[in-house]
Amino acid sequence: MVLRRDDWLDLARKVDWTPRYVEERELFPEEISGRPWLTHDAWRDWNEAYRTTYREYVANQRDKDAAVLGVRAALSKPRLFDDLDAGWVQLVKFHNGAVALAEYAGAVAELRMARFGRDSAWRTMATLGALDEIRHTQIPLLIGHDLLAHDGNFDWTHKAFHTNQWVILAARHLFDDMFLAADAIDLAVQLNFVFETGFTNLQFMAMAAMADRAHHHLFEKMVASIQTDEARHAQIGHPVLRALLENGSRDRAQYLIDKMWWRCWRLFLALSGTAMEYLAPLSARTRSFKEFMTEWVTEQFMKNLAEFDLEKPWFWDLFTEELDYAHHSFQLGLYTYRTTLWFDVAMPDRAEREWLNAKYPRWEETYGALWDQLERRWEAGGEAGTLSYGLPALCNLCQLPALFIRPGRNTACTLEMGGRRYLFCSEPCRWIFERERSRFADHNSVVDRIVAGQAPGKLTDLHRWMGLEAPVETGKDLRRGLDPWRLDPVPKR
Amino acid sequence: MRVYLFGFASDDFVGRVIVTPDQRTVAQLAGQLVAWGLAPERGGPVTVRNEAGGILDPAATIKAAGLGNGDIFKVERR
Repeated sequence: MVLRRDDWLDLARKVDWTPRYVEERELFPEEISGRPWLTHDAWRDWNEAYRTTYREYVANQRDKDAAVLGVRAALSKPRLFDDLDAGWVQLVKFHNGAVALAEYAGAVAELRMARFGRDSAWRTMATLGALDEIRHTQIPLLIGHDLLAHDGNFDWTHKAFHTNQWVILAARHLFDDMFLAADAIDLAVQLNFVFETGFTNLQFMAMAAMADRAHHHLFEKMVASIQTDEARHAQIGHPVLRALLENGSRDRAQYLIDKMWWRCWRLFLALSGTAMEYLAPLSARTRSFKEFMTEWVTEQFMKNLAEFDLEKPWFWDLFTEELDYAHHSFQLGLYTYRTTLWFDVAMPDRAEREWLNAKYPRWEETYGALWDQLERRWEAGGEAGTLSYGLPALCNLCQLPALFIRPGRNTACTLEMGGRRYLFCSEPCRWIFERERSRFADHNSVVDRIVAGQAPGKLTDLHRWMGLEAPVETGKDLRRGLDPWRLDPVPKR
Repeated sequence: MRVYLFGFASDDFVGRVIVTPDQRTVAQLAGQLVAWGLAPERGGPVTVRNEAGGILDPAATIKAAGLGNGDIFKVERR
């Protein structure tokens, strides 16, 4: 008689055994299984909310892949690029470069939990999670490859993570901290609980909604399909967090959550915030980045914290203030340093400025004069006058330029340590650095390397050092300075 | 001696790295920062502060004002 699924699944999920030739501590060393080190008794009740068998997993994934590949086949390669908005194409290029190989790092993280997670059900979920993340690497690589025929910079889908490009260095710094240099317990809290449960809805579901309106149905299918996987393996975080809290590690859990919330916020404002509000065409925008963040990220996060009786991160007031400004400030950085990027960057036109001001009532007051000034420079001296040539101050934690929160209210601060002065864009970045000094102190930002002579100071050489072949690959003004609205009189102060 | 500093102008959007001899004055340092910014032509008087918020004497040298490698200074238009 063939057993029914529910008759055998519990047995298959729980295959932990008592080691006879080594101690449990040797089998699951604290250094990589994580702190606090607890005997298996503490993990015995580890349970995932949604159980999956391997057979079900394979069937589901096959269907999901068929759906994505079906859209790809239906559109046929020559038509993949048809009718896509120029800004949207750059958004996809930005997304693919920043995300595709980060997913591969995610696979390494899941595999670490698949070996060093402390309960077999956890390890099984993580094994499926690793298969998910490999898939999330392969699909954007495939789609990026298809788009190469139309735009050579789509090779950054694969290339980006192998370069010293500064946005990618910032992303790698985060993913190394969160994925590659983390033990199994920290991974479950940082990757599964904070990053995946908290933030990936934004990058994948919000982007899917926008892709539908931008008529990029292949991208829509891809990101929506990825998010269904994320939602499944993200559940690893909850039972691990519960075990931490039940075993006296509340402070450690709170720290990991606070730290990773702030670090993920920095990444998402830079990647999703700017892309959604400066590259997505107006017709594709439904809600603002702030509205997405509030509804899809912070409200859900608050529920998760309440479930575990955890506190809001101590920097919450700063975070909510940044929601109105930080990505708009970052966009000015992207625009004026665009020759150091692998995608083109947009200056908002009149209709977009009206939209931004409707969503962010202080946008025009805060940023209007700066964009007007760039506009005047276009008129007076062409593109050369609209670029920044000096080195930006970079944060020694997040590696992003110190441009937060907004013009006139910069939160940069420093820390003297070991005879070296470190710069930070904000108090939370300095706080994280101080808590884990030995982890971060030896890393040099791009600017540190230039000042120390370890990277070239001359822009043309710096492009090459970053992996950018100028001028073919370097970012440009999206509309090449040819907007019809630029024929209007330049606004006077 | 040449030092590198991080300057923040109130009407600019990003902190900028300034490499300069520390025998130059605070006023010259402020001018160098503003020249890199988006509104160098505005001119007018400025106030220069250190990270703690203390006002720096514009006639003092960078070294005498206590600024060294990796320090922050802020330039506000009056």
